[in-house]
Amino acid sequence: MIFLVVMRKDLKLFVRDAKFLATLGLFSASLVLILSVAFGPIFAQPAREAAATVWAALFFAGVLGLTRSLELEGESGAGDALRLSGADPFSLYIGKTLANFALLAAVFLLLLPLTAVFFDVGTLRALPGVLGVAALALIGYSAWGTLFAALARGLQARELLLSVLLFPSLVPLWIGAVKLTHAYWGGAPVDEVKDWVKVMAVMDVLGLALAAWLYEAVQEAAE
Amino acid sequence: MILRAEAVHKRFDDRPVLSGVSITLEPGHVVLLSGANGSGKTTLARIISTLLPPDEGQVTMDDVPVSERRTQVRRAIGFASHAPLLYLALTPVENLEFFARLSGVRDGRRRARALLERFGLGYAADRPIAHFSRGMLQRVVLCRSLLNDPEVLIFDEPYAGLDDAGVAAVNDVLTEGKARGRATLLIAHDKERGEGVITRTVRLANGRAQEAA
Repeated sequence: MIFLVVMRKDLKLFVRDAKFLATLGLFSASLVLILSVAFGPIFAQPAREAAATVWAALFFAGVLGLTRSLELEGESGAGDALRLSGADPFSLYIGKTLANFALLAAVFLLLLPLTAVFFDVGTLRALPGVLGVAALALIGYSAWGTLFAALARGLQARELLLSVLLFPSLVPLWIGAVKLTHAYWGGAPVDEVKDWVKVMAVMDVLGLALAAWLYEAVQEAAE
Repeated sequence: MILRAEAVHKRFDDRPVLSGVSITLEPGHVVLLSGANGSGKTTLARIISTLLPPDEGQVTMDDVPVSERRTQVRRAIGFASHAPLLYLALTPVENLEFFARLSGVRDGRRRARALLERFGLGYAADRPIAHFSRGMLQRVVLCRSLLNDPEVLIFDEPYAGLDDAGVAAVNDVLTEGKARGRATLLIAHDKERGEGVITRTVRLANGRAQEAA
């Protein structure tokens, strides 16, 4: 199971980089705090403001995480060693995608209680729905983000390119995530926005399919 | 296994680096590739090892273009360069076991420890390599290149940073490789260190390769 080996390696590298983890955690938590102060203390539409805040924070935290993931292979040329191993490129991609997903999921689990407390939203009953939305959004974000990070590798303005590629491509995912989270937190009837689940699922499948088709070429061309 | 680069051209930003270079790596031979800094030695090594595509010309393994059997070619090559190609936050054992598993080596951990012992690094096998000296790092690089017992070795400055014991270990690998029919490309500035194991010398100058006496 090559993808599990790659995932474990990436997670090990994330965990050993305390400076990166501290930056990621503090940055995303600060964003939630700042936006809660900006929208509050009396929230007009707490569910809407909270949903927007948590997903904005996750988007920016995700760019940090994906940039770090990209650097892991570039720092000492280890990406070359990955290619020389002859391992199946799609397995390498899946391993890195799973590691990025785990990292973003950890950030989401950090932000979720903070958002609930600062904005006074959410109930335990809504938790499974919100976690389902997060899973859909983060699978898509990791799938597209890992592909784009590989595409940006080797370029001078890679961090900029990564953001420029990620934001417009993932707009349907963000809209779906915000609308569904808003609904689960009691801002709107869930039935009215449930079609966004299909949009997000299509985005997830599309990202993975595109990577299955392109990742090897992207990996080779990144040199 | 015969690895051959034929009429290889490579340019970077319109600056020609290789202009029709041909070189053959044959079993049981250690070919020293020499040349001044910037003469294209590392570029040629990267092209032969499939890490970089040539602009023109081709690389073949047993007369089949490497682009048609890239996985097989990559698994047949042991590549060591002056860039470590390792994860600095991992230990030598973690690095080697990781790459062993990717390359399909059975019992990667035992293989990793055996190689580290061979290169005199057994005592540091479980320390993160981030603070290793240049010589220690170079030994781990050499271990990585030998993980899957490759049929072809491409060593780019393998002696860099090594003490006498390290140089002797590299020469042991090269001598053993010759005896076992490995094809080897050795890039080294201080060719005296490889004396006794080198069977041919090719010099790169002005983008072309010349067989040296």
